[in-house]
Amino acid sequence: MKFAFYPGCLVLQRMPEYELATRAVLSALGIELNIVQQAACCGSPVVESFTTDWVYLTAYNLALAEQMGHDVMVTVCGGCTNTLARGLHALQNPDVRAEANRRLHPLSLSVAGRVAVKHLVQLLAEREDDVKARIVRPLFLRSAQDRPLRVALTNPCQAFRPGDVMGTGDDDPMQPQRMHRLVELTGAEVVEYGGEDECCGATLYLSSPKLSLAAGRRKLEAVQEADVLLHSCGNCHLLLRRFQRMIIHDEQGLRKQALFFPQLIGLAMGLSEEELGLREGTLVAPP
Amino acid sequence: MDHPKDCIECGTCVTVCPVEMVGGHAIVTFLANPDAVDYSAWLCTSCWRCHEACPTGVNIYGLMMEQRRRERAPTGYGKALEYVLASGLALTVFQEQLDQVRASWGLESVELPPLGLAQILLRTDG
Repeated sequence: MKFAFYPGCLVLQRMPEYELATRAVLSALGIELNIVQQAACCGSPVVESFTTDWVYLTAYNLALAEQMGHDVMVTVCGGCTNTLARGLHALQNPDVRAEANRRLHPLSLSVAGRVAVKHLVQLLAEREDDVKARIVRPLFLRSAQDRPLRVALTNPCQAFRPGDVMGTGDDDPMQPQRMHRLVELTGAEVVEYGGEDECCGATLYLSSPKLSLAAGRRKLEAVQEADVLLHSCGNCHLLLRRFQRMIIHDEQGLRKQALFFPQLIGLAMGLSEEELGLREGTLVAPP
Repeated sequence: MDHPKDCIECGTCVTVCPVEMVGGHAIVTFLANPDAVDYSAWLCTSCWRCHEACPTGVNIYGLMMEQRRRERAPTGYGKALEYVLASGLALTVFQEQLDQVRASWGLESVELPPLGLAQILLRTDG
C-alpha cells in the first residue's frame, strides 16, 4: 500500500529522524510513503494570519498529491494536518475550488479535493489490531526493568480539533484517546497529567517566546514522574526537545528525553535504534 | 473588534486557553469581557480548545484570524511570512543543505517548491 507523505517545512529539514522512524514503522505495517515533491508550506498559522488566500497554498499541496495518484496523504505535524484538512474542507465549496483551479492552472495543476489527509496517529489508530499484532516486546526503562516504562504524552492537538472537520469519530476532540491507547499497546504506562490534552505552546513562540517557554515549563514540571516524553508533531518537538534547555536552564531534575511517537512504537515492534533515527541512544531498553 | 452576537460571555474559552494559563491575554479575554483592551489576537497556540469548547459555536478561530489581519504582526510571524513569499516555505531551506542532511539519514533528496509560487497563489491583500 502506498500513500503520499507530506512532512511540512519543519520536519523536512530539521527532523529527518522523525521521517525515518515514521517510514520504518509504516513499512513494518506494509505501507510505503511517497514524499510529495515541491510541496510548499501548509499555510497556517503563518499565511492564514495575513490572508484568506492560505487555502490556495493548501490546494496546491493537495493537487500535488492528486497528481501522484494517491488517495491518502500522511502527515506528521499537528499544524500541517489541521491546515490541510481545513483547506480540503473549504475546497468542497465549488466557488473556492474554481478559484483554486484558476490559480493552479499556470502551474499545470488542478485540485478535485479527493485526497484524505491523515496524521500518523490517526493512521495507526485505524490499524490498531495490526499495530498490536506486530508488537514483540513490552518497553522498559534500561535502569528500571521491574516496572513498566512511564510515558508522558502530548497529543498533536491541531490534528484533533476542530472535531467536526478533523473527523475524530467517537474520540472526544478535547480529550482524544487514540494516541494514549496506542502507547499502552507497547506495555508502557501513560502518566496521567492534565496537560496531555493541553497544547505544548510551541506555536506561541512566534508571537511571545516568553509565554511559549512558560507553557513548556508548566508541562515539564507536570510530568516529573515520567521516564520519557512522547509527542507526534514537529512543533511539539521544538518545544519539548529543542526549547527544553531554554526552559529549564540547568535544572537537571526536569530534563527528559523527548521521543517521537513512531520511535516508541518502533522499539516495541523490535525495530532497531538505527532504523528509528535514535542516534544518540535512548533510555528505553533495546530489543 | 465587534463582539460576536452568539457569544454569551460564559468564559469557558478562557478556562481552556493555554495562553491564559500562563498569564497571557488572548482573544478569549475579549470574548469573556467585551470591555477588555489588554489582549492580542496574535497570542495563541492554535490548539483550538476555545473553539471546540464554546457552547454556542462561536467561530473563535476565524474571528481571531480576521482580527490578526487588522493588527500589526509580531516579528516572528512577519519573518516567517517573508520566507513563504520568497521560497514557498516558512523556514529557510536550501536545496544543497537539505540534500546533505537527508542523505546523512539515508533519505532521498526532495525538490523544493518552484520560485514565485507564493506570488501565483497568494494575494496578500486578502
